[in-house]
Amino acid sequence: MNAVSTSLDAPSLLGGRPAFAEVAAEQLDAVYRYLVYLTGDRAAAEDLTAETFEKAFRSWRRFDPRRGSPRTWLCKIARSVAIDWFRAETRRRRREETYARDVSLVEEFGDGLPGPLQEALHELSPAEREVVALRILLELDGPSAARVLGISQTACSTRLSRALRRLEERMDDVRE
Amino acid sequence: MSANEMSVERLLRAHAPHAPESLRARVLAPKPAPVRRSFGLPPRRLALVALPAALGLAVTAAVVNGIVNPGNHPVAGQQNRATVAATTVPESLPLRGAPADSVGAGAGAAPATHGYNSKALATPSVTSSRLAHTDASLQIRVADTDALSSATSRATKIATSLGGYAKSVDYRTPKNGTGAAYIELRVPSQNVKTAISRLGDLGTIVSQELSVTDLQGKLETQSAQIAQLRRRVAALRAALADPALRDADRVLLQIRLAESKRALAQRVSARKGTVSAGATARISLVIGTEKAIAPVVHRGRLGRMLHSAIGFLALEAMIALYALIVISPLAIAAALIWFWRRRSVDRLLHAS
Repeated sequence: MNAVSTSLDAPSLLGGRPAFAEVAAEQLDAVYRYLVYLTGDRAAAEDLTAETFEKAFRSWRRFDPRRGSPRTWLCKIARSVAIDWFRAETRRRRREETYARDVSLVEEFGDGLPGPLQEALHELSPAEREVVALRILLELDGPSAARVLGISQTACSTRLSRALRRLEERMDDVRE
Repeated sequence: MSANEMSVERLLRAHAPHAPESLRARVLAPKPAPVRRSFGLPPRRLALVALPAALGLAVTAAVVNGIVNPGNHPVAGQQNRATVAATTVPESLPLRGAPADSVGAGAGAAPATHGYNSKALATPSVTSSRLAHTDASLQIRVADTDALSSATSRATKIATSLGGYAKSVDYRTPKNGTGAAYIELRVPSQNVKTAISRLGDLGTIVSQELSVTDLQGKLETQSAQIAQLRRRVAALRAALADPALRDADRVLLQIRLAESKRALAQRVSARKGTVSAGATARISLVIGTEKAIAPVVHRGRLGRMLHSAIGFLALEAMIALYALIVISPLAIAAALIWFWRRRSVDRLLHAS
């Protein structure tokens, strides 16, 4: 399934709250992709996706469709869940005295993604990957992505430009 | 956006990962509905509701206090108040301008020519044979610093003429023709009425208070204890005079005699203090010029209610400010922790 259209990002015109099961079915891929790019670990992304929807289900009554789309709201929850995971991972690595994680580069970030692009994505920081995921894969607009990241729109745009430039430079190096 | 960037985007989108079926089944499996809280409001909305509600409650409490206790100002001092001990009632004092059987606190009445409120003080009568300690305080307004100086010296002379003395005199004339004198007088209790009457003639009485504490009960208790101890001492002396007393018993009796004598001396000293307190009345006198001592404001019922309500609000504001002072270090610590956590998240996510 390709990236869904932006129409699902728009708040409900009728102002009503959609059913959670409906939203979960629609946004599952988007949240999963975001977490894969953010964590760089598919296995962790699966667990975190499940945890994200668990939390979203418990707090579904607090979602206000007038304030943003379900996708933006879910991404905020996913980010919070991922940050806790990063903290736990950092503590675990410190305990185990491992400073580099062996990540399988094969089909880590995308199904069938070219190897150089895969490597280039791996070289980006999690912060750069997440903005790429939000803006490119999930097709969130600038304000929504900035809201998920908790930064200004300008900072979000700058971060995205920098990430895409790094990817492009890496691709150019490979072509040469 | 460059062509290359667009190709990168196309590649990323074309090869976007998909959630595996196992994850899909896990997330979309039916779940029991979460337990619904009684308050479905998010924290921000709850705060927007709670804050006006708290303010409304504070104002309501102030209004209720104003209605229920119209004469009570919880923060400022009170004027024209008579305090009487629970165990007794003092002898009535023929205060200047007041009828002998006047009752009730002073608020509400129009001031007399000399500024003295004729409904000022309630002083029920008491049997004069009981020992009692009298505490009085007066605030008197004079025209200027010259009158202040004259009134201060006359006040001390009044006390000495009645067999008393001025314990302390604090005279201040800072600037702008204002000034005040704070005088502590001691007069014999039987002359306190005369003293208050004469002191009232020094100027315009702004406020006065009188409290009488009955000491008769205490005196009788102390006297009974003294009598008992004296009997005990006599009995011990009689026992010690017995020549057949064993040495061990003699020593024991001597110890008890010494203890009894010590206790007797303490009781006698305490009784002297009680008698002295009953024999001397304390008068706290404040004499001030126009600006130094504000005149009593006589308010109607609505005015008293509002005054009391405003005082209650002021008290609530003080409590809120105190709570803010106590909470602010915690709030600052919480803000620092939040800021540190945000920075740590940035560090985590920007490490490649």
